[in-house]
Parts: sequence; C-alpha cells; structure tokens
Amino acid sequence: MSAFHEGLAEIFEVDPGLIGADFSLVDNNWDSLAIVSVIALVDECENLMLDGPALAKCETVADIEALIAKARGD
Amino acid sequence: MMRTARLKALSSFLPETVLSNETLAALYPGWTPQKIVEKTGVRERRIAAPGETAADLACGAAQRLFAETGLDPAGIDFLLLCTQAPDYILPTTACLLQERLGLRQDCGALDFNLGCSGFVYGLALAKGLIETGAASRVLLLTADTYSRFIHPGDKSVRTLFGDGAAATLVEAVEADHAMIGPFVFGTDGRGGPNLIVAAGAARRERDAASAVEMIDESGNVRSLDNLYMNGGAIVSFTLKTVPEAVGKLLAAAGLAMDDIDLFVFHQASAFILERLRRKIGIRPERFVVELESCGNTVSSTIPIALERQVGQPSGDRTAMLVGFGVGYSWAAACVRF
Repeated sequence: MSAFHEGLAEIFEVDPGLIGADFSLVDNNWDSLAIVSVIALVDECENLMLDGPALAKCETVADIEALIAKARGD
Repeated sequence: MMRTARLKALSSFLPETVLSNETLAALYPGWTPQKIVEKTGVRERRIAAPGETAADLACGAAQRLFAETGLDPAGIDFLLLCTQAPDYILPTTACLLQERLGLRQDCGALDFNLGCSGFVYGLALAKGLIETGAASRVLLLTADTYSRFIHPGDKSVRTLFGDGAAATLVEAVEADHAMIGPFVFGTDGRGGPNLIVAAGAARRERDAASAVEMIDESGNVRSLDNLYMNGGAIVSFTLKTVPEAVGKLLAAAGLAMDDIDLFVFHQASAFILERLRRKIGIRPERFVVELESCGNTVSSTIPIALERQVGQPSGDRTAMLVGFGVGYSWAAACVRF
C-alpha cells in the first residue's frame, strides 16, 4: 500500500483496502475539503501541485492518478 | 550601538460570543463537532456582537495593552491599524481610534488593508518608522470581523474564521544588532479572486443582484456579498509559497533552521499548518499552533499565538514569523522575541 493510497483512505475515512483505481470519489463525499486534502497529499507524496478545478472533476482514484501522471509529464 | 526597533509587548482581545463546533455541527448535515476539530483544529471561535466592529476589538486590545504594561497612551507617537473591516469608507478608522484611545494629537495614524499577512507587514512599517527616526513608540493594532462577511450556510469558512484583535507595542531601543528583520515580502494579485468579498466596495456595490444566494457543489451557501474562499487554490498557493519564503528568509538572515527557536506562522488551519511543518521540516516543539479556542483571526493570529503560547517578548529568542493569504500577499520576518 503506497503512502498515497493510505493518505486517501484517511481522507475518505475508509479502510485502506478499499482504495484502488476504481474507488469512487463522488460516492464518498468528494467535497471541497476532500479536494484540499488531496492537493496537500499529492504535494507531500509526489512533490506536485495539482490544479484544484481539474481535481474537482475527477470521479475515481484512477482519474487522480492520471492527473498526477500528466503533471509529472509522464 | 544602533537605533533599532524591538517588540516590547502584546495583548489580544476577543469578543465574548462563542460559536462552538456543537452549534455548527447542528447546522451542517454529516458533520460532527469532532470532525470539525479534526479537519480544522478549531473547537470554538469568537464572534463580534451586533454593532461591535473591528475598531471596537482593536480598542479593547489596546486598552488591555495599556493596562498590562502601565504605558501611558500619551507615550504612543504612531498608530497603525491593519483591518479589512473599517468602521467607515471614510474617515480612516485609525484616526477615530486616536481619539478613543486618548493618543496625542501629534501622533501619526493610518489604516492599512491586509489580511493574514498584515501583522508581519505592520512590523515592517513600524520598524521603518522607528529606524528612520520618524517615531519612537508605535502601536500596531490588528483587528478583523470576518464573521460579518460569512454566510451562515458556508461551512467552508464559518468553521475556520473567528473575530479578534491584537495590540503590539514596537519601540526604539539602542542595541548592537537589529531586533526585527530581515524581511521577505511577496505579492501575487492573480490570487485575488480566490479569497474575496466581491461586492460592497467601489468595484461592485451591494444591491439585490449581489445578494442572490448560490449553493456550490459542496453544499455551501453564499452570495457576492459574502466571503468566498477557493480552498484548493489557497492550499496550493500556501504549500508552494510559504516554504519558498522560509528558505529566502533564512538565506537573507544568514541563519539555519536550527538557529530558529520558534516558528510562528499565520494560524490558517491546523491542517495546513501541519502540512507546512512537515514539508519545511520544522520540529514540533519549535512550531507554534494556537487556534483551538479562537480559530483563524486573520491578521491577529500571529500575535495571539505569541501571547498565548510563548508569552511576552524577552528578546532572548529568535522567532520566524510568516503571514500569508488574501491578496495573495505574504511576508516573513525574523524577530528577537
């Protein structure tokens, strides 16, 4: 389990085992507070600053990981 | 020896009304008092009474300072007031406070409009006045009543902000080294729309249209008359800007992290403070956190945190102060405290 997934589990207050690519953000209180928390988590884990509006449009963990890859220039 | 400015004393003042997490949780479905404190670090915040203004809070802080230090108000020769909630469009609130506080008529007085960076900017102004010989004893007042701007249905800001004020005495002293400074300043007006009360001043007056309420995707209610905060943008700005400012200030001061006895940052929220502490690599015992019983009081968070967590200045400690927020505006300074 990566630190990023553990951080997501903490943010969404779910069991870390539930966090995977298809984990639904929108079904788990994907509000402004959660978005702020994910921005800080990605900064800490990846040293990358995600764009808030783009992050708000994410629906699953896979979408966030795609944003991270894009920000990294993968 | 040289003439230099030093922090001499500080006193804070909070309004009486308490807004608790229990009260807020009852208004916001899905939130509990414990969740609010876990997310923000705030258990309760103080709210100005109807008719009680930032100037009233500033007056209370100044009167406490005079009572606690025994200083005669006539000893003040310059008054600086940092607020974003002036009593009037004009006259300048600091001018009205000169009379209320019994300051001399040959005392300078001015307002400056900054938010969370305001205390550090105020120290820079006070230092400039003192070290150029323009003043010898500066009363720096910080006061705000953001509760007036906040829609009751906007949990994103209502859980964080509290009203409050602080009075800080900065005076001239002969010493062999500077006791306030160096400073690092920063401004990025592109961030203006991300923390704003859009209506109510010259650019957009309040009217029926500005008062129309909207509900955002997180269920928060507000109108253009209210405070709006783009939390994601503010967090991104903070996590990028503050560590850079800390690095620049250390370089300017010729100091290392271990040389700093106390790090006192603007108390934005416990969440962002802990992220900053970890990112910058500050030891917890040197990092001041003080917002549990007063929330984010904007320009007063740093002096309130100093007074409550550290005490009065002795000049024996090296403290790094960093203010950041609305504007965007930021400033960092080293002070002997």
